[in-house]
Amino acid sequence: MTVTTTSRTVTLDPNRNVPGVRRQGFPDAVRAEWIKFWSVRSTTWSTVMLFVLGAGLTVLVCATSAEWLASGKADESPASFVTWGMMFAQITAVVLGALIATSEYGTGMIRATLAATPRRGTVLAAKALVLSSTLFVAGTVTAFAGYLGGNWFLDDHGVGVALTDDGVLRSMVGSGLYLAVLGLFALGVGVLVRHTAAALSIVLALVFVVGTMVFLLPGAWGEWIGKLMPGNAGSGVATPVSFNPDLLEPWVGFAVFSGEVAAVLLVAYLVFRRRDA
Amino acid sequence: MIVARGLTKTYGDKKAVDGIDVTVEPGRVTGFLGPNGAGKSTTMRMILGLDRPTAGTVTVNGHRYPDSPAPLREVGALLEARALHPGRSARDHLRWLAVSNRIPVPRVDEVLELVGLTSVAHQRVGRFSLGMGQRLGIAVALLGDPPVVVLDEPVNGLDPEGIRWVRTLARQLAAEGRTVFISSHLMSEMALTADHLVVIGRGRVLADCSMSDFIARHAASFVRVRSPQPADVADLLRRQGLDVVDEDDELRVQGLDPAAIGELVGKSGLYLHELTLVRSSLEDAFMTLTAGSVDYSAATPVGAPR
Repeated sequence: MTVTTTSRTVTLDPNRNVPGVRRQGFPDAVRAEWIKFWSVRSTTWSTVMLFVLGAGLTVLVCATSAEWLASGKADESPASFVTWGMMFAQITAVVLGALIATSEYGTGMIRATLAATPRRGTVLAAKALVLSSTLFVAGTVTAFAGYLGGNWFLDDHGVGVALTDDGVLRSMVGSGLYLAVLGLFALGVGVLVRHTAAALSIVLALVFVVGTMVFLLPGAWGEWIGKLMPGNAGSGVATPVSFNPDLLEPWVGFAVFSGEVAAVLLVAYLVFRRRDA
Repeated sequence: MIVARGLTKTYGDKKAVDGIDVTVEPGRVTGFLGPNGAGKSTTMRMILGLDRPTAGTVTVNGHRYPDSPAPLREVGALLEARALHPGRSARDHLRWLAVSNRIPVPRVDEVLELVGLTSVAHQRVGRFSLGMGQRLGIAVALLGDPPVVVLDEPVNGLDPEGIRWVRTLARQLAAEGRTVFISSHLMSEMALTADHLVVIGRGRVLADCSMSDFIARHAASFVRVRSPQPADVADLLRRQGLDVVDEDDELRVQGLDPAAIGELVGKSGLYLHELTLVRSSLEDAFMTLTAGSVDYSAATPVGAPR
């Protein structure tokens, strides 16, 4: 490698930048986070996986279940199947959410980030905005694609659901909202634990494992804990008719879930603000 | 200008930085020297607002770093070379940094050119050698064309050519009137680069003076005298009020130059086999100064040749 001798194209004015320059603001932090987010391959890959799992699995399961659903022997509603793949698309939202925080700690990048934008609340908010807007759009588009593809097979067997049917349109937008907030949940946990594997384990275990197991708890309080678990409370909004009849009303559940995630993010912010980088 | 007053950082019951008072002036290269674990990096992280001081303050151009309207345009810093995501290209890394501080994006290509990374600007930095990573770190530091430049161990991993390049660059930045603060654990490197020296050990300032003062004060010299009659020679010299140390088969004499010593001994009719002026290197001076404050020193084997 050759060394360029330092040819200075700039001259120094020590006061050029202080205080004349406009203070860096939230939009600058968002633009920076946006570039960071999309300039690593894991983001593209995770987003592609989100679509493949979310839309692809929905179409696949609709294609293979349509006959059974049309046979009259089915004990599930066809409307439960048009967002089936979103259950798995959740994983990619968790991965993206965790990585946007933990990849910075794993690499030491966090120091560059906080040297560039010392206001930690601004950094966290910019990350949250970039992540949630991406997940909202990707989730909604994926849900629509899955619905369109899957419903084609259901229609074929006369059990299709219309977009105007109760809860169908809500579940499309709801999928985007649910993935966005789920991603924020992983972001908050990621900021707290600073370790990719730990953050993924905690969030995936809470949503997929613990969330299912708590329904085994006896009595009314067990049922309530089940309803209030983040994954159970939040996922109702992402499907027209849930497979699990014991969940909260879709929007009520989503409000509970959002509240839980807001609490996690608040704790994450308070810790992040005080912690040495 | 960087000003630290009573700057202290405690981890548990260990004081990493212990009440440092330092002023880093513009227009010269200030070397920040200390053995590993002396508190150099911790101090630099506190300058950049990354670590919160346990006590005391540190300001850059009169205010705390986080209060800067656009910190990268005010202070350019090279932290550890690997404060990078390995999957991101060099150019993208500089691009998000530029955008975060409203630095015009064309400046990105300018600094890439400056550090000689233009040809690999689109390569992922995970493939960079240590030296290339270090160059990218320096590009980051210069991105905002800042009046204050803070470089933590900038020559780590660089080849001799790269080391000379950093040295030239640092001197040039200082000549332009910037404040240049460079940490290193290598005295030999600092001797060639720095005008001013701050030496720390165990979190305390051991020396804060100009390079030439440091050399004059700490780089001791002595005259090595060998003689077949060492006891007589030592007696003679001691009677002249000189400081004589008996080391193995030689005498180490301080307080007079070799010529004068030779004449003294000659007049008394004693024989001399050797008369040499020995200057201890700056590295030795630094070692001596920080000897009591090295946290992880290797034990010198008993009977090892010295």
